[in-house]
Formats: sequence, structure tokens, C-alpha cells
Amino acid sequence: MRIRKIFWVIIFSLSVAGTIYGAFFREFLVYDNLEKFEKLKNVGITIKIPGYESTENKFEVQSQWFTEPEVVNAMTFEGISRYKDGKLTSNYPDLRMLKGRLPCPT
Amino acid sequence: MEKLRLKVQLAFAALFNIGLFQWHNICFPVLNCHSCPTSIFACPMGILGQFAGIGLIPLTVIGLMAIAGLTIGRFLCGWACPFGFVQELLYKIPYLKFNIPSWTRFIKYGVFAGLVVAVPIYLTPESSLYFCRLCPVGTIESAIPWAIINGTTNPGHLALRLAILFSIIILAMGHRRFFCKVLCPLGACLSVFNRFAVVFPERQETCSECGSCNRLCPMETTPHPKDFGVFVKKPEECISCLDCREKCPTHAVKLWG
Repeated sequence: MRIRKIFWVIIFSLSVAGTIYGAFFREFLVYDNLEKFEKLKNVGITIKIPGYESTENKFEVQSQWFTEPEVVNAMTFEGISRYKDGKLTSNYPDLRMLKGRLPCPT
Repeated sequence: MEKLRLKVQLAFAALFNIGLFQWHNICFPVLNCHSCPTSIFACPMGILGQFAGIGLIPLTVIGLMAIAGLTIGRFLCGWACPFGFVQELLYKIPYLKFNIPSWTRFIKYGVFAGLVVAVPIYLTPESSLYFCRLCPVGTIESAIPWAIINGTTNPGHLALRLAILFSIIILAMGHRRFFCKVLCPLGACLSVFNRFAVVFPERQETCSECGSCNRLCPMETTPHPKDFGVFVKKPEECISCLDCREKCPTHAVKLWG
């Protein structure tokens, strides 16, 4: 019984520590998927993202730090994948389509 | 107790899918598809699979599941899981009832290791047949609604999902909580911690060893008179439904282990 309790305390402490670290301190660098953006533009589909056209004339790859809960949220609509070079990249053209986005896939 | 539990399960099923707010950055440890247009929380198995697909470990998801498992074990399976609730209702339908071999409960560990972890790591994106793509909860809450709203581009895959769903419905009508016992990967995760849970039915010295708890148990756990816990054999399966506590003639079962 005593060993069981010690084991319980150790595992529980690790779980709490892991949850707190993951929720508040762990971050991932996620990159834009401008390749997809360009493809969509080339076939004549215009994506209107507020502020995008007015601030940038040339599209460059941008990156942004995502907390783990933000990545979890993005994953609920399959928003992040690995690019060929191993970087985390958005499955959507712009990072602004991931952060804080509500999960409705439409 | 069973009526109370069904009401609580119904309340949770409504709460998880009522769409009042969306907190998809939090995983609640029950099997409830986050692709459902009105779901509130993210599904832990879906997130584990997605993270495995990009080679990451979701610490918050694993941590929350471990905390839930270590404190209340599979209590959420018995009282909060919407698909558990659906299975409870399905079992009430008059239909041929049957038993399943005891070893089949180990299949769910294989489902977790294979379809939730290994397939996303080694076969994604070439193979999309990981657990979410086959999950009966996902079929009910996501695949069918979206197929109705948007149509489907892959009728073969939808037919496969529907075939799996209907098979599980038929099996759940014949065997109580078939999916929970045999296939649920979340149940497999939580059952690992069940033996160490704080809230866990425990038998006291007033037990007359009549075995009624054993006969009533929906998860077919087996009691033992002289050891910790009501259920010494298969303790990982106990979902804390408390049917044993209610029906015990000597009131020998207490909740806190």
C-alpha cells in the first residue's frame, strides 16, 4: 500500500508538472504556408485576410510562436503539419488563419 | 443509481455538444469528436493522433489524462462519456445478448498503440486510416453531419466508417459497453491509471461475499475478499458506475479507495 501511494505521488506530480509546462511554457515555431497561398492565387482563388493586402506587397515566409494549447486548437482542424525540411508549417495559407481560429472547418 | 447515472450522462452529452462555446485548446478526457460543429472540447485521442503524425508529444493532453486517471480513474467513462451513454441505451434494446472472451479487452491497447500512435507516426500522410478516420464517435458526430451538409468526396471511406459504426451498434446491443471493453483507446489509457485511482469502489469488512457486485458489474470485474479494492481481477476495467454499491445487501462497498 505504501509503495502504491509513493508511486501515485510521483506520477501525479509528474502529470501536474507536465500539464503546467505544456499549458504555459511550451512553445512551437510555426511557419506560413505561402506555397499553398501562391498555388491558390495562380488558379484564380483570392484569399481575403484582413490586413494582409494592405500591409504586404511581397509575400514572405513568416513564423510565429504558438503555445501548446494553440497548437492543440489548430490540430482540431488539421491546421499544422511538417514540411519537407522538418519545420512545422501551417496547412492554411497564413498563420492568422490558425491562431485563435474557431474550429469550424468551413 | 442507474437512472441518476443516465441523467448525468445525458447532461454531459448535451453539455459537450451544445455549442455554447468552443474551448478546443483544452482536451476533456472523454471520447467526443472535436470535428463536431457544436463540440466544446478537443478529443484527447484525436489530438494524440494528430501530434503523433507530426512527431510531437502533447504534454497537456497526456498530463490531463493522467491527472484524471489518477484521481477518478475511469469514472468519466461511466458517468460522462457520451458514447458510453449511447451504448448503455443500445444495450436496453431487446436483442440477442452474448458474452465475449476475457482476452478481447486487450484489443483496446492494440488499438491505442496501433491506430492512435503507430499509424500516424509511420504512415501519415500516406495512410489516413488512423483512429479518427474510423472512430464511430467521429462518424456519428462529424462524418455524417458533414456528409449531409457538404457531401462527400470519398464515398468508399464513408461507407467503411458507416459499416464500422453499424457493426459496433449491433455488438453494443448484444453486449453491454462492447466498445468500452474491447476497442476504446481512451479507455485503454485511463485503465492504466485505474488501479491507482483515489476515487475507486472499495469493499469493507462487512462484506458477506455474496458475489452480487460481481454479477451486476457491467464491466465484468471480479471481486476478491482479502485485498485492496472491490475488484482485484480486472480492476482496470471498473468504470465506477456504482451499481455494486447500490445493490450490495450489506452496504459493504464504499467509493473512496
